[in-house]
Amino acid sequence: MRVTNTMLINNMISNIGKNMRRMEGYQRKLATGKKIAVPSDDPIVAARALKLRTDVSQLEQYKRNAEDAVSWLEITESALNNIGEILQRVRELAVQAGNSTMTTEDTQKTAEEVEQLKGQLIKIANSTYAGRYIFSGFKTDTKLLDDDGNFVVEVEDTESIIYEVGISDSININVLGGELFNHGEEVIVGQPAKLITMMNEFIAALKSGDKIAICDPNDDLPEGESILEKLDDEMNNLLAIRASVGARYNRLELTIDRLDINKFNFTKLMSENEDIDQAENIMLLKSEENVYKASLAGGARIIQTSLVDFLR
Amino acid sequence: MRSSFFGFNVAVNGLYTAQKNLDVINNNINNVNTPGYSRQQTVQRATRPLNIFDGTGMVGTGSEVIGVERIRDEYLDTMYWSENITFGEWDTKRTLLSELEATFNEPSNSGFTTIMDEFFKSLQELAKDPSSEAVRALVKERGVTLAKYFNDLATRFEELQVDINDRIEATVERINSIGAQIQQLNKQIYTMELDGSIANELRDQRTLLIDELSRYINIDAHEVVVGKLPSGRDDVRMVITISGKAFIDHFSFSKLALIQRENKLNDEDVPNLFDIGWEDGNSLKIKGGALKGYLDVRDGNAGENGSPVYNGIPSYIKKLNRFVQTFAMAFNEGFIDLDNSGSIEDSEKGTGHVDGYGIGSADTGIRFFTMLGDGNKSISSDDFIDGASSVSDIAARYSHITAKNFAVSSDILEDFNKIATSDTPGEVGNIRNLSELLQLRNNDQMFTEGAPEDFMKSVITTLGVGSQQAVRISANQEVIVKQIENRRLSESGVSLDEEMANMVRHQQAYTAAAQMINTMSEIYDILINRVGL
Repeated sequence: MRVTNTMLINNMISNIGKNMRRMEGYQRKLATGKKIAVPSDDPIVAARALKLRTDVSQLEQYKRNAEDAVSWLEITESALNNIGEILQRVRELAVQAGNSTMTTEDTQKTAEEVEQLKGQLIKIANSTYAGRYIFSGFKTDTKLLDDDGNFVVEVEDTESIIYEVGISDSININVLGGELFNHGEEVIVGQPAKLITMMNEFIAALKSGDKIAICDPNDDLPEGESILEKLDDEMNNLLAIRASVGARYNRLELTIDRLDINKFNFTKLMSENEDIDQAENIMLLKSEENVYKASLAGGARIIQTSLVDFLR
Repeated sequence: MRSSFFGFNVAVNGLYTAQKNLDVINNNINNVNTPGYSRQQTVQRATRPLNIFDGTGMVGTGSEVIGVERIRDEYLDTMYWSENITFGEWDTKRTLLSELEATFNEPSNSGFTTIMDEFFKSLQELAKDPSSEAVRALVKERGVTLAKYFNDLATRFEELQVDINDRIEATVERINSIGAQIQQLNKQIYTMELDGSIANELRDQRTLLIDELSRYINIDAHEVVVGKLPSGRDDVRMVITISGKAFIDHFSFSKLALIQRENKLNDEDVPNLFDIGWEDGNSLKIKGGALKGYLDVRDGNAGENGSPVYNGIPSYIKKLNRFVQTFAMAFNEGFIDLDNSGSIEDSEKGTGHVDGYGIGSADTGIRFFTMLGDGNKSISSDDFIDGASSVSDIAARYSHITAKNFAVSSDILEDFNKIATSDTPGEVGNIRNLSELLQLRNNDQMFTEGAPEDFMKSVITTLGVGSQQAVRISANQEVIVKQIENRRLSESGVSLDEEMANMVRHQQAYTAAAQMINTMSEIYDILINRVGL
């Protein structure tokens, strides 16, 4: 084939251009750390990259949700713990009061203490998390009980606050005030909570010195009517609720662990999918640089000389 | 008996021949870098010999140059044109699609996936704290960002469509200008060649113009023999056709014309785009070249309404429109076309934003997304729905939403407390309605392609594949065109070495011929001045 000067120059320009383009590609990869810059570089990688990004960011959000759920449950748990201690103390007092050696003065003092404890229970019923009442169901902007222990809001047993901690994986994070303070009975606004009523009955019994009402030593009252029995019932209820909160807390911790692992795996996948192998890339860039230099040097020689140089 | 001064004549012929050859070489060297130039060669032969009837036979009388030819393989030109048409088309598509890709800006940390993600993240935060004003404000802003992303995308697509339209206008003008030049050249070439010579340079110029033309539009160029000239040569005429109709026929030239459309081809188009036709009113179907690339990308809507069968700008705008309509309908009303029937039946009504309650008032029936109305102001939920009450009437209202006018409703913009989280009025901690909205993100029945993000992913992948196809075809085609170009250069290009070698050859011939004259001169000097004195 006949080779002409224009051909030589055109080919050289086009080949050096190709070299430059390849080098630019490697340099861009080196600078961005990504295999692709636009979807057309590799539509499959691009599609996977989009999917994985969404997955990772969803996992991050679910983890944040789970962590917030944990804080909410921690507040709940500490409130339940306090209630437990209060009920424990009340029970001790009830047992003491049932002891026949107590004088009227003693029972009056005990009544005062129980009054204080009742106040504390009401305060706990109105515990807040970030300004929101945790036992008021959906009415997080209103207190559960007023100062006398009467319900301010109607808490229905369907008012579970649900946090999403995974795709179609959600967890109920609140304990309903009705369940806790009005165990087994319907909440009616303006009516006192069952737990508070029991405290009131206890105080009244203490004030009147009615030991039968308190501990029913001779089984005069029907089953479950004495303060002590009612207290045991409330404590059992509390225990059941605490167990359920504990179980949810546990589940959340597992969920957070799982989300962490998933996030790690997905991030790894994402990196494998779209990140370049820097070592390989640098090698390729270097070799491309050499090719570029060689083609420049070769080209410079080819286009410099012609027969003109030798005709003197 | 030969004439006494016969030798002089022969030597002078030699000088002339060498000179003419050197002239041609000079011209070749001059044009070594002229685009489209084909090297020229003299046609040289020995002159008619002298018959001397003294038994010595024929005596040569020297040499002469009888013509100057260009070295050109016209078959390669034809090949070049047909490949260049395809290259022109795909190279144009490649450039335009890469602009579209840049508009989507994916994969990145500021493209659709991120914006959609941020919107749903803000909703998740709201689900954890529905009473927080800060989070409500955040949801509102993220909603606005989502809407603005689509507005911006649609605007940029429309701008690109207008831009392509301008390029089409410029290209058609250029084609007409090339046509006029070729028509002029045809006249010159024909006149100059009537005497049997070849108009080398003018032919080169014409080929170069046709090269350029073949990049713009599908042409078919031939020289047609129509008879014999008085000189005995073929009477050839240049004919260039576009899709079967003559663009240039010898001395006549039909212009292309731009016709402003009265009706839009696609609903998504910007108004007043140009159609390309013949100036004489005939219609023209463009089958290749840059113009085809422009038209496919500008009008391509997968063959709908007679548009080109290509995924061009209208098809992407249409997809974006479909996305915002479907997403807004699902988010606002809970309507999801579960059976893919293309319409919403009463049974396909789920829970949407409209069914929920915000905080602070018992307002319900608020749509989160509406559209921009007069003065680019977002309209209220009531104005948007315009009194429609049945499921099908409400669904029909959503056909008014486009990517360009997608917006967060003025109700939400004015009062973010209207973002409906609760399914019962007055319960600030109730997020049952919001939970339904959150489910939408992973609702893979919303689109035939799947969940909202799957849909957009498929749009971006379609574009990526289309763009990749354009990159590949144009790269392949470029190689083919380059190769033909190389073969043409190999055939017709000037080689300086060759010319220098020939120069030396003819220079030596000239020197020798001149020396011959000296020798002759010496002979005659002896004969005339010295002999017999």
